Amino acid sequence: MKMRGNELTKLVTRLESGEPLPTELYRRTGNARILGITGPPGVGKSSLIDRLIDNLRRQHKTVGVIAIDPTSPISGGALLGDRLRMQRHSEDEGVFIRSLATRHHHGGVTDSTPQIIHALDAAGFDIVIVETVGTGQDEVEVAEVADTVVVVLMPELGDEIQRAKSGLMEIADILVINKADLFNARAPATGPQYSALKWERPTIHTSAKTGEGITTLCGAMDLHHAYLVHSGELAERRERAVRAEVTRLLQSRVSASILCALEGPQAQTILTDVAKRKLDPYDAVEKLTTEILGSNKRSSKHVTTSTRGQAAKRRKTGR
Amino acid sequence: MKRPLKVLIAKAGLDGHERGALVVAMGLRDAGMEVVYTGIRNTPEQIVAAAMQEDVDVIGLSSLSGGHMAQFKRVMELLKKQKVRGMLVFAGGIIPDDDVKKLKKLGIKEVFGPGSTIASIAEFITKSRR
Repeated sequence: MKMRGNELTKLVTRLESGEPLPTELYRRTGNARILGITGPPGVGKSSLIDRLIDNLRRQHKTVGVIAIDPTSPISGGALLGDRLRMQRHSEDEGVFIRSLATRHHHGGVTDSTPQIIHALDAAGFDIVIVETVGTGQDEVEVAEVADTVVVVLMPELGDEIQRAKSGLMEIADILVINKADLFNARAPATGPQYSALKWERPTIHTSAKTGEGITTLCGAMDLHHAYLVHSGELAERRERAVRAEVTRLLQSRVSASILCALEGPQAQTILTDVAKRKLDPYDAVEKLTTEILGSNKRSSKHVTTSTRGQAAKRRKTGR
Repeated sequence: MKRPLKVLIAKAGLDGHERGALVVAMGLRDAGMEVVYTGIRNTPEQIVAAAMQEDVDVIGLSSLSGGHMAQFKRVMELLKKQKVRGMLVFAGGIIPDDDVKKLKKLGIKEVFGPGSTIASIAEFITKSRR
């Protein structure tokens, strides 16, 4: 490892709180393979990752894991119970596991996930695994950050119409039917096939309980990585990931500046006019765009004080 | 963004009585904390490794099988060995009064026995970490 355990754990905490990764660390990233593991709650994602860690460690690969569980919309607290399933290598220095709460971010991962992936990458882990929250059909953000997406399902979750639906099923590079020891699930599993040009998505039966299918799954992940490299798709995906990350950061900065602009007296006049039915909401947006966000350069510069600056301020004021 | 308090709830040693620890974990979740729950049969080494990787503020140890003196003592020793400073450690379960005194001497801040309310545990944590 290029970073001591304690250094890494504190760094991850800062990133989780919205601070940016130091530039010199970002320069050291791009070497780790990023695996996304997603699927509905209770299908065995964490237990499967426990098996994957074991397999990868036997190949002398170091593994960093980001395990995400939901934040309560009611209390703001969270019960992070993924780590509990991943104890096979709990004292192994080649394995680093961090549990994260979504903190109200929707999409299956957290705001801080891309930055924490970079941190684990920079720390020298060969493989970074991102376990999403238990997802529904529409939480597909992990596809923005992972090189390989494994969607984990279990027997009896639906018929072929479910399989044909958009969203979750579409982002799978590898489809896993876990708990294959149940229901005697043996029917059509397909092995991975690829040429340098085309990846045929495999369906693999596994049992995290018995260990069945884990070697096949690891083989499929390696094969997918080889496909990504040979086809040139890895570079494309990484470029997409960068675009997605920068877009999100930009969006959050722009939305912060909008919220700030809406506080001003000019905006208040416009909003009042909308309330009096002198303007309609679209007119208001038009006016706000040109009059406030467009022309008032000084104020927009003021409100978009770099996130780095804000983060430094936060650091000083404590957690 | 101010991060919520992060707490590790774990059961050390050969003790399968999970209900109490799980109730506390859920109660602290409801009190707005982020709770990492690592379940039953953890070794002290596993508990300390988890606490460090997760960068928690608080560790809650549960024991109902009589192994608390050996197990909790080892946890405290390992924390010291790893130079973890400022960690709030509390305990709960079936623990005799005499042992409570000994545990407090080891640095365990409070011990919650049967009948303790979730509210009192949450309040203790919030006050101690403020």
